[in-house]
Amino acid sequence: MSEPANTAPADPRPAAGPNWQPRIIGFLCYWCSYTGADMAGTARMKYPPNVDIIRVMCSGRIDPELVTTAFARGADGVLVCGCHIGDCHYITGNHKTMARMPLLKRILLDMGIEPERFRHEWVSAAEGEKFSKLVAELTEQVRRLGPLDWPGLMRARGVGHGMDLKAWGE
Amino acid sequence: MTADRHPHRPQSPPAEAIRIGVFICHCGGNISDVVDVRRVAEEVGRLPDVVLSTTHMFMCSDPGQMLIEEKIRELGLNRVIVAACSPTLHQLTFRRTLGRAGLNQYLFEHVNIREQVSWVVEDKAAATLKATRLVRAAVGRIRHLQPLAKRRIMIHPSALVIGGGVAGLVATRDLAKRGMRVTLVENTPFLGGRMAQLYTLFPSNEDAKELLGKLIAEVVHHPLVTVHTSAQVMSSSGIVGDFRTKLRISPRGVDKRLTQVGIAMAACPEETISEYNFGLTRRKAIYMPYPGCWPQMPAIDWRSCTKCGKCQAVVGGKGIDLAQEPKEIEIHSGVIVLATGYDPYEPMFGEYGSGIFPEVITLQQLIRILDPEGPTAGQFVVNGRPVRSMAFIHCAGARQYEGINMPQPSGKVNDYCARTCCTAALHQANEIKERFPGIEIYDIYQDIRTYGRGHENYYERASERGVIFIRFDPMRLPKVRHDPRGEKPVVIMVQDMLTNRMDVEVPVDVVVLATGVMPHDISELVDMYKCAVGYDSFLLEVHPKLRPVELAVSGVFLAGSCQGPMDITECSAAAAAAASKAAALIAQGQVEMDPFIARVNEDLCSGCQTCLTVCPYEAITRDPRKGVAVINEALCTGCGTCAATCPSNAIQQFGFTDTQVMAEVEMLLADMMPEPLPTGGSHE
Repeated sequence: MSEPANTAPADPRPAAGPNWQPRIIGFLCYWCSYTGADMAGTARMKYPPNVDIIRVMCSGRIDPELVTTAFARGADGVLVCGCHIGDCHYITGNHKTMARMPLLKRILLDMGIEPERFRHEWVSAAEGEKFSKLVAELTEQVRRLGPLDWPGLMRARGVGHGMDLKAWGE
Repeated sequence: MTADRHPHRPQSPPAEAIRIGVFICHCGGNISDVVDVRRVAEEVGRLPDVVLSTTHMFMCSDPGQMLIEEKIRELGLNRVIVAACSPTLHQLTFRRTLGRAGLNQYLFEHVNIREQVSWVVEDKAAATLKATRLVRAAVGRIRHLQPLAKRRIMIHPSALVIGGGVAGLVATRDLAKRGMRVTLVENTPFLGGRMAQLYTLFPSNEDAKELLGKLIAEVVHHPLVTVHTSAQVMSSSGIVGDFRTKLRISPRGVDKRLTQVGIAMAACPEETISEYNFGLTRRKAIYMPYPGCWPQMPAIDWRSCTKCGKCQAVVGGKGIDLAQEPKEIEIHSGVIVLATGYDPYEPMFGEYGSGIFPEVITLQQLIRILDPEGPTAGQFVVNGRPVRSMAFIHCAGARQYEGINMPQPSGKVNDYCARTCCTAALHQANEIKERFPGIEIYDIYQDIRTYGRGHENYYERASERGVIFIRFDPMRLPKVRHDPRGEKPVVIMVQDMLTNRMDVEVPVDVVVLATGVMPHDISELVDMYKCAVGYDSFLLEVHPKLRPVELAVSGVFLAGSCQGPMDITECSAAAAAAASKAAALIAQGQVEMDPFIARVNEDLCSGCQTCLTVCPYEAITRDPRKGVAVINEALCTGCGTCAATCPSNAIQQFGFTDTQVMAEVEMLLADMMPEPLPTGGSHE
């Protein structure tokens, strides 16, 4: 087994010019969408490496606060995926996602985050191809918008917005 | 995350110093050909509290697992991360490894760097970076994991079988034979279900009612079986091992003291259509569907009975009581078997002339007509006219196409194959050719398949006996019209695919629609037991191959044609499978369940009850004394929807607490912060 000769450079900083890569956080439900993402892997469908996946049991667990926190911590985009309506492992967990996410999109708009940075889609366990295309599409969409760099923005404005990095009692 | 700052929040991380071990798998090159795993190990090894960060060729192999066990003991690791394939493959493997090393198996985190990194990312440097981020996130998250214990629930050694057709009867018999106490509930006043409406059965030509009689005798005489007829399931609570089901039992109105059955039935002035004969005949309000039915006594149909008392008067009041009230009982059972069966497809008005011409009947009606004990005493007479020629039209209500066939009220067409009707129709064609050799039979089909052992004979024999096959194009359905020449009541106009789309007119005395099957309407049960339903509206198993007779709801099993179209052979096999699965579960004595349930912090709960409205399992109630939400841990399945909903962050889901998921988010993005966060979970 030959060792790969690749070297990993340090993560590029936001707005670092031509080397800048969008950073996207994906919240996926375990039963459908995460398995769908696995399926894309099993079928060796190549897609951009920009979406980092966080696994939850049901898309109903995806608190809007998780999405806003991801942006606040420096994400350029957020992806939320769950089972199709009617396929939820927890019967109606995704109905709550369906109600929440459009509202969240409006709130993001009010916060000055372009709605194109946020994507909510249903991906079944068999839709590996849909998932890989979705990631490619969203990555390009966010790339066109450029870095969000909310932490830098807030720092420049001297506002905390729950971003004070000291832990409670420290 | 204001609530995280609440002083009552449990302290996390715990007092014990955290010692994290990170194990990264090469997967024999599957990962390491793309991801520089050594580089990942090196990067992650620099994070605080990471005591060990190493790689191995195959983590899941025995030496790989041995390495984890050794290092846990040697270095006193109390958190373990494995970065390898998807957790769906080996999460359980490594949890067990931790268990063997004496560590709580939930202090483990599985990172997917194969299916979601090395197999999908082409650029090696980017893949290495991504893997590093994902493992780093796991380091952030694992600091906040708490030891968890699997939940254990005792199983009550009894079963409730819903549905008294052949599947329910087989399941009941098999469970009782294994020594389980079984309650069988049937919605109608008589056992036997749809099988009782058949005459002879393919492929053995046995008499359906005789066979059913044997099965019913085995069931009802078994000392461990209790049968409730005319019983409706009203409500159900509890979970696997401990279901409580409320039944409403309608009175029969008749008891064993009634001896002059015929006289009582004759005295009844009220008539209604006979469901047993599919509307071909009428029956009284006090009735028995057929002579050999079980129980061997009539029942009163309260919807058509006017309580006139004539039946009572004619027998001197003995054995008939019109004043009986329904009663409610509760059944305690460890498991539930659903055997709610199917309904034959009912053709819509105008579909192949149905409802317009009395000569258009269904296959089920034909079977009743051919039954020597049926409405015409076995004479082949339809609408008062002896039949000399007839045609079957296949796939009525099955294999339908949107835009071609009329949809159901739900808007969907039945696009699935009903599986039983090809063989059933040809079985009847042969029966007719044997008993009434002069009758001309046309068989008009889109596709035909008599699958199954011995079934192909029906097709071959039908061809030999001169049944004429005509194949139609499903995009151009046959039409049933009034015969303009008046020789026959109806004529079928069809384009025959077998003769190069020749237009054919077939004048016949009777058209038999080989109607498909639809699930019996059990929407109340579906809501009650939170059953998964497939796109075809039949109940949906967990996995068609690996867990074919289980519902996603633990402890609820599927038997027979509630799951999809099946013939009696398949129903019995499915019912026997459901019974053995149910018996195996009961034999375990207890079940273990994942601990990822949600819990309410009573100090934080404001009692707003928002969580009550979002829980798909109605597992949350409000404690009226304390004014806070309470989660029934036995009912909670751990979706976490309530945790996401709670405006006070008073609900946390074990394994997916706000702190844990937030730490993951933060550590994924740690390099994006002006001041990098080394540990994650800064909002503690």
